Amino acid sequence: MRRFHFLLGGTWTVGRTLRWLVLLALGAAVLWWSARGIGFSVAELVRGLPWVFDLISRMVPPNWAFFERLVKPVIETIQIALWGTLLAVLMALPLCFLAARNLSPNLLVFHAMRQVLNALRGINEIIFALIFVAAVGLGPFSGVLALAIHGAGMLGKFFAEAVEEIDAGPVEALRATGARPALVVVFGVLPQVIPSWIAATLYRFEVNLRAATILGMVGAGGIGFELMSSLKLFQYQDTAVCVLVILAMVMTADYLSSRLRARILAA
Amino acid sequence: MIHVRGLSKTYGNFAALRGVDLVVSAGEMCVVLGPSGAGKSTLLRCLNRLTEPSAGEVVIGGRGAPRNRRELRELRQHIGMIFQDHNLVARLSVLKNVLTGRLAGMPGLAAALQLFPRADVDIALDALRRVALADRALDRADRLSGGQQQRVGIARALAQQPQVILADEPVASLDPKTARVVLDDLRRAAHELGIAVLCNLHQVEYALEFADRIVGIGAGEVVFEGGPDELTPAALARIYPGLAAGATSPAPEAERDVETKALPL
Repeated sequence: MRRFHFLLGGTWTVGRTLRWLVLLALGAAVLWWSARGIGFSVAELVRGLPWVFDLISRMVPPNWAFFERLVKPVIETIQIALWGTLLAVLMALPLCFLAARNLSPNLLVFHAMRQVLNALRGINEIIFALIFVAAVGLGPFSGVLALAIHGAGMLGKFFAEAVEEIDAGPVEALRATGARPALVVVFGVLPQVIPSWIAATLYRFEVNLRAATILGMVGAGGIGFELMSSLKLFQYQDTAVCVLVILAMVMTADYLSSRLRARILAA
Repeated sequence: MIHVRGLSKTYGNFAALRGVDLVVSAGEMCVVLGPSGAGKSTLLRCLNRLTEPSAGEVVIGGRGAPRNRRELRELRQHIGMIFQDHNLVARLSVLKNVLTGRLAGMPGLAAALQLFPRADVDIALDALRRVALADRALDRADRLSGGQQQRVGIARALAQQPQVILADEPVASLDPKTARVVLDDLRRAAHELGIAVLCNLHQVEYALEFADRIVGIGAGEVVFEGGPDELTPAALARIYPGLAAGATSPAPEAERDVETKALPL
């Protein structure tokens, strides 16, 4: 009598078992190859551990006096995230209707818009920041532009998907009254999508705040600059303060935004 | 008020309507009976051109086929439509839902900024009084019961001050008591305001109770036309082939013969 039955998937014929074994072997090979590529080594990790502890021990106690120097960068970081989000919303608004299958004037425009949004979304904020620092110069405004461009791609897609999920009935009812297309959108589409648009925007602000904390590393403003310089000057107790402040900022934003989003989506 | 001659609509090989002739006068409550898929919805949607007819002539209040988008909107402005699932905008107030019936004639920018002319607000409130829901004007539409929402749908159509109201299965999802209130609202709109009402139903008993005239549709053709008293068992059998003798109501079945995925504006 068997005490266990193997019940995973369907019936395990010989052919199926072989196919799975081949796939497993392939997967293992790719992972081994990648591990070689990145110099994965447990031994090195173990050997490095004392240095990690050494670094941490140099961070404590955090140099709280340094906090005074961080007030301005923290405020700047929030300002970058605010304007980066706002500009992204402004750019995403007109694009999202063209990128929504049910409202786009035709399929060509729809696919073209989707590709534009994909391209904006596909490139990381830091890469945009590097480009804008080169073009506009060092400073927070380059960071704002980087967040705005990347965020427009993200929000454009979110907004368009919300438009695609609306109930078509009210829209048809408004068309049947003879209202102009723009007013059909204002009264038939917007009321249906506004809650999810606001939720997406709040989430975007949260993401942008996290991104804004590292923009400073490429010279695009915010607290990241202070973090970088303290590391370069071996002022690890200052670094600790930077990290803790970033953590506090991000956690506060997460908490507030998720509370707000839950309230908006529940209404 | 409604003149339809030789109206046909084909979807690929399927003929939803084959040469329908129909006249509805001002102030008349005309009920269209027919089994699911007979073409009742298609008929109504061809009248305000939510569906473009394949052939035939439709003249409503003296207006023929629109030649451009502006004429299409003008045609629709004078035709109110009532839907099976009322199609209110759930998150807007009752009053604003009714006001959307007046959008076609409003200054666009002001309306988009939520500024509504007082005259239009008065008309909307008057329409709400007609369906006895004026006291709910500022509630959100989705706070109302199904029957109340359908009556807001009627108020939206009335606010258009239309010559014609098209009602597509307006009581299909309502209980009998509520259904009678809604149908009574529609009949009063016809009789008191002189609107030509064309109403799809699938319950024969409601047709007998509320219609001035009944049009029976089967397989895309008019198979009966006459007053409620002329609707004999033989006539019923023509509208509902295979319906057991003595039964007055065929099995209710939601009719959705036209599915539009895209929303051309």
